[in-house]
Amino acid sequence: MTDTSTTETPRGADVAAAAATHAENTTKRALPSWLTGGSGVARYAVIIVWALMIALYGALLPDTFLNAGTFATILGSQQALVFLAAALLCTIIVGEFVDMSLASNFGLAAILVPVLTVNHGWNVWLAAVAAVVAATAVGVLNAWLVVKVGVNTIVVTLGMGTFITGIALWSSNLVPVAGLPREFSQIALYKILGLPVSFYLGLILMLAFAYLLAFTPLGRNMRFVGANREVSRLAGVPVTRIRFLAFVAGGAIAGVGGVLTAAASGGYDPSVSHSYLLPMFAATFLGTAILQPGRFNPLGTLIAVYFLATGVLGLQLLGGTSWVSSVFYGGVLVIAVTISTVLSRRAR
Amino acid sequence: MAQHQEARAVTPAPPAPRLRVASLNKTFGDNRVLTDVRLEVAPGELHALVGQNGSGKSTVAKILTGIYTPDPGASVEIDGRALDLPVLPQESRAHGMAVVHQSLGLVDEFSVLENMRVGRLRGSRFTRRIDWERERQEAEAVFARIGRRVPLHAPVGSLLEEDRATVAIARALQDATPGTGLIVFDESTRALSRRSLEHFFAILDEIVATGTSVLMITHRLEEVVGAADRVTILRDGRSVVSGREVGDMTEAELTSLILGRNLGDLDAREHLELGPDTPSIAVDGVTGLAVRDVSFTVRRGEIVGLTGLGGSGYDDLPYLLAGASRAEAGAVVLPSGRLALAGLDSVAAIDAGIALVPEGREHSGLAMHESVAENIAFAQTARAGSPLAPVSRANELALVGEWFDKLGVVPRKPHALVNTYSGGNQQKVFIAKWLATDPTFLLLHEPTQAVDVGARHTIVEAIHAMAETGLHVLVAGSDENELALLCDRVLVFEEGRIARELAGPCSPDDIVEAIYAGGSRAQLRPRGHGAGAPRPSGAASEGHA
Repeated sequence: MTDTSTTETPRGADVAAAAATHAENTTKRALPSWLTGGSGVARYAVIIVWALMIALYGALLPDTFLNAGTFATILGSQQALVFLAAALLCTIIVGEFVDMSLASNFGLAAILVPVLTVNHGWNVWLAAVAAVVAATAVGVLNAWLVVKVGVNTIVVTLGMGTFITGIALWSSNLVPVAGLPREFSQIALYKILGLPVSFYLGLILMLAFAYLLAFTPLGRNMRFVGANREVSRLAGVPVTRIRFLAFVAGGAIAGVGGVLTAAASGGYDPSVSHSYLLPMFAATFLGTAILQPGRFNPLGTLIAVYFLATGVLGLQLLGGTSWVSSVFYGGVLVIAVTISTVLSRRAR
Repeated sequence: MAQHQEARAVTPAPPAPRLRVASLNKTFGDNRVLTDVRLEVAPGELHALVGQNGSGKSTVAKILTGIYTPDPGASVEIDGRALDLPVLPQESRAHGMAVVHQSLGLVDEFSVLENMRVGRLRGSRFTRRIDWERERQEAEAVFARIGRRVPLHAPVGSLLEEDRATVAIARALQDATPGTGLIVFDESTRALSRRSLEHFFAILDEIVATGTSVLMITHRLEEVVGAADRVTILRDGRSVVSGREVGDMTEAELTSLILGRNLGDLDAREHLELGPDTPSIAVDGVTGLAVRDVSFTVRRGEIVGLTGLGGSGYDDLPYLLAGASRAEAGAVVLPSGRLALAGLDSVAAIDAGIALVPEGREHSGLAMHESVAENIAFAQTARAGSPLAPVSRANELALVGEWFDKLGVVPRKPHALVNTYSGGNQQKVFIAKWLATDPTFLLLHEPTQAVDVGARHTIVEAIHAMAETGLHVLVAGSDENELALLCDRVLVFEEGRIARELAGPCSPDDIVEAIYAGGSRAQLRPRGHGAGAPRPSGAASEGHA
């Protein structure tokens, strides 16, 4: 896979294509052409590794790993990450590199629901709406600073994230707040076919996002704005509006994710928000190695989320403690970005 | 080596070539891009390396700069000393080879001195601070050698274009001992205007006269027939001509050597007969950017060229007319009605039938990492009435197929990423994207910039064909050869206004004369005087075409 000649990218269609297929040709000449053509193998590599990982854990832990409960846990526990990764994709797709404030914004929405309901006596549904509005407002503020004023994205969102983490901690007096009404938790926990409804909401979100990008003019405009703003502007795309709305949509999606997370656990601990930051990046970047190599894509990201959850859960069942997730998420982030860099260089 | 010296002892053989590249092969996977390429640059000559896009000349340049490793068996020698492969830039620099990259490779924000000395800066002995006084002296010595003065502390971005060219040359020259060394220019001149180009070659002529060699990798045929001593031509990765004397070679002869065939006749197009009642588009009182109150008309089927010196406003006009830059005043009177330019945006302009093909396909033309089909359809999908209604893939492929036919895009790969296409095909995709909007008023800026002679031919023919179907076409350009081929009429700008009009077919010389108001087009570099070292005619040889 890592023949040195693949790092050289000459000009010309045939040459580039030849360079791209070269690695597969030399190592696996006997494979059929649909596998060797383009990035056929690379596209499914993570999925194959996922299957191998499941088989390995199954062999090592036939009783604890290979049962329906494990898979229900993996599929039913990652909603926060799915929503955060979708929010991150909004800004990445339109070429704003990373919105660092998303995890904090998610935490703000998640803590506002119990704080307003339990500490301030609001109606829980009203509190939920207020939480989403607050997260969206943070998105608007980011958008205004980055898109209209032109401040650097990373500086604005990193500062904003730290700022609203502080606000969230202040609003809860630095302690976890719990005690949301049971019927409210049904928006996240209501079971359909053995899995919580929030799993399906995350699935629908990612599928709709993928559809938007692949088939609709809006999605194509978003991708072109990300690829080249000037090209898009000259073709009549409202570039500023699309960049602005990407930040707003990111904030809103993070807010909804936060509300669902608070509903699922009946409350929230505002000091854990930052722990979502790295898994969010790991999943989103690993997603660039799946299905559409070298590109950020929602379905690849969705698969990456469950790939990571499988890996962490298996290691925990094998006896790893809290260090496991740091090692796994951190390691995968570095490996995923490396793979993605190599793949996009080959596609060039 | 020993044998070589023995031979020299017997007969005074010509000195070793300044640069000798032999048996150069390069394969990527199963794809062979260079086959037994031979290149010899003699001391004190200006040697040109030309070929179509994809012929392998940028691969040769990348091997010379060490980006690519050639296949085993190749040899690269400077003054008879073999270099280790892959080429290490430090080593080749120590042997006196310097490379000037595309668009001169200068950083606008930094001063002339910093641009000159970057990579060579030395710290003082104890504090490790840069000794700027010493750096300044080093830089001044180089400028003194070429007899030019440039303000060393000015940011490069503030310099005149020709001074920028001087800085790039000086930077390349500073490591060479006078009379030795080799400067490789890799498509360095593509952004230079005609006047700067003459200045550029004037300096090169002096350098070559001292015995330093120059290798020009170029697209501009004029630089070969008008300036080079000898030429090496690559075609399909082979050196089909290796070191032939340029002499009286014409651009047409050179073209057929580059392509391996004769192009169809592409002389200026027939004079257009337009009756007085031919419908026309009027450009009325446009002011904005450098343009001052400009009015003229373009008749149906007519191709009008706009040209002038940099800053004269000719190249601002297409952007003002298409709503891509803000106009202060003025209007376009289209068959469908009058369109005020103040406050016009791209969407309204496109909807009114105005299409702009801007300069620079990488910067403002195409999304290089998206597919060919999506790029061609983008001007339509970008303005889709309902942003969530799915795009019809079938319609899209039909549209793309149609334009592949009309512009002769080969290979036909609608789903390939644009950046896998050659430069000429990319330019075709770029133009197709805008022609596909079915405009009535087509605005082009440098439509054949940086494409090879074959692709230029196709693009010029396509624009002629589009005009015949009833478009009104405006071409802003600085390349007099392109304008002479394309246009029925040329408007020459000066200080934001139309200074002169060349009606009817005009030659490149007419256009240059009109731009410089009487200054005629000099040959880039009159040959046959002051050549320092004797030219080894025995080294010239021709491969088999």
